[in-house]
Amino acid sequence: MSWSVAIAERDYELLRGHLFPGDGDEHGAVLACGLSETGRGTRLLVREVFPAEDGKDFVAGQRGYKQFAPLFVAEKSDYCRDNRLAYVTAHNHGGRDRVGFSEDDLRSHERGYPALVQMTGKPVTALVFAERAVAGDVFVGSGRDELASVTVLGPTIRMLRPEPTGSCAPTEDAYDRQALMFGHGGQAILGGLKVAIVGLGGGGSLINQMLARLGVGHILAVDPDEVEVSNLSRILGATRRDALGVLPNVGLPLLRQLAKRTARSKVAVAERVALEANPKVRFEAVRGDVTDPDMSARLLDCDFVFLATDTIQSRHLFNQVVHQYLIPGAQIGAKVPVDKGGAVGDVRVVVRPVVPDSGCLWCGGAISPAQLNREDLKPEECERQRYVEAPNVHEPSVITLNALGASQAANDFLFMFTGMHEPNTRLRGRFQWARRRDWEDIGDKPDPLCRHCGRGPKSAYARGDGVRLPTRAG
Amino acid sequence: MIVQMLSEVEEAVAEIRAAFPQHEVRATPAADGGAEVTVEAVGLGERYEPRTSFVGFRVHSSYPFSQVYPHFLRADLRKVDGSPLPSPGMTPNQWRGQAAIMVSRSSNGWNPNADTAVGKLHKVLEWVRFDA
Repeated sequence: MSWSVAIAERDYELLRGHLFPGDGDEHGAVLACGLSETGRGTRLLVREVFPAEDGKDFVAGQRGYKQFAPLFVAEKSDYCRDNRLAYVTAHNHGGRDRVGFSEDDLRSHERGYPALVQMTGKPVTALVFAERAVAGDVFVGSGRDELASVTVLGPTIRMLRPEPTGSCAPTEDAYDRQALMFGHGGQAILGGLKVAIVGLGGGGSLINQMLARLGVGHILAVDPDEVEVSNLSRILGATRRDALGVLPNVGLPLLRQLAKRTARSKVAVAERVALEANPKVRFEAVRGDVTDPDMSARLLDCDFVFLATDTIQSRHLFNQVVHQYLIPGAQIGAKVPVDKGGAVGDVRVVVRPVVPDSGCLWCGGAISPAQLNREDLKPEECERQRYVEAPNVHEPSVITLNALGASQAANDFLFMFTGMHEPNTRLRGRFQWARRRDWEDIGDKPDPLCRHCGRGPKSAYARGDGVRLPTRAG
Repeated sequence: MIVQMLSEVEEAVAEIRAAFPQHEVRATPAADGGAEVTVEAVGLGERYEPRTSFVGFRVHSSYPFSQVYPHFLRADLRKVDGSPLPSPGMTPNQWRGQAAIMVSRSSNGWNPNADTAVGKLHKVLEWVRFDA
């Protein structure tokens, strides 16, 4: 079992500021964490940081140098138990790039943590930080394990470990030119990532191509549909044969219908494109709707999720996955308004990076409760209630607009993981008003009561497996 | 298949029962985890004949993120003064397979952190009683 921690940058900076105020002394804090268990290991998801006040909550130790005060431990472990969260302590040692627990630390864990595991009903973990390193000691009911890493999620995604990893093997020739920008280490990071693309239409198919050529190691593609002729202008690599099946030139409507049953799915086309670009990529082609529970569960061990779909339900689910499981992502789309007379309005491309700290689609007004309600209706109810935006009504869609969004989103992803963003870069969403060639930043106004990104009692933030995702009933 | 309401939907139904203690409130679980809710014999005021109606509506599985809309009243409802029911606010439709009047009061500013099914029901009833 591999253990890791995920923490939003804002929380990490709060913790770091408390542990390293510049006095060279030891300080402590407790983290309340949700849990996410997948085939790739268990992640502790930091929901709350409780700095321990020096001299009151973090005091001179009876056996070691410093310890948490018993009352502080009791309060915070009760809080974790009552809120079904895992109890995690954090303190610091000196040093910069390497860190480990002292013998006193380890003995103190052995004395106290088994009882805390029983009391909270969850794993109990200790973290020790140096300035750029962290080690962890995890206690579970059946034993004890070491923590592999802490991932800090922000405009740059940093991974802290107990000590620096060894130097990376030289990059394959195919990646030479890009590795000149972000190094062999950056290429190795890309090769170790699992990235999901939800929606393999115009935008998603472009992202798929870019991820495969960048050398992303594992791509999960999710889409329920097969290729149609009207998609051929946008889906990268799709052919008429993919759209029309085994008898593409048949004239009779009935035969054409039968032949269409053999049309290729969008995810199968994406797999073909990705493997042509990078035969070593591990590709999972999953045909299904991401709002089905089995499909959404497959996103939970990914390092990043791209959303390139049209529905508000999928947007709602994606936004909750980002915040509930601390998995960063990006949403892309394009809107071409056309009035009844055929006049084209203000054409808009949107790219929204969504990370635990910023870009919440609910707070940004990108999810309409009215549309969410409408998508819940059965087709006959839609008809009766006279909604014009019924399913199967095709909206204008153009590959160049898809490409504007896909390229920005893929570049944001690349720069986040390879450390290419400059310090203090803000990950704001953007509109491009294509007819005016104007870019506009999307403001970020987080609502503290938001049920996705807020930290209120009803929020799913960092609760991981502790609350359900907004999927359709199975 | 066992059909069960999601906890958020159950909470909404409980709030409606608490707000309408004198009325029969029926909640039929839907396959998606939502519910079809009917509040019986709700007073609509002297401007209508009959003066009472059931109020039906669906609380979807995506509640409280999705708004509660539309609401339905009995099909034979009419204004006492003979004026027509306002359209498009109150139009003929169906509720649970039966003819009904659909009340269209969409909440474009629905806030999942503040708005509730029972709050929306009160707003719809206020509109029907005094403004429709």
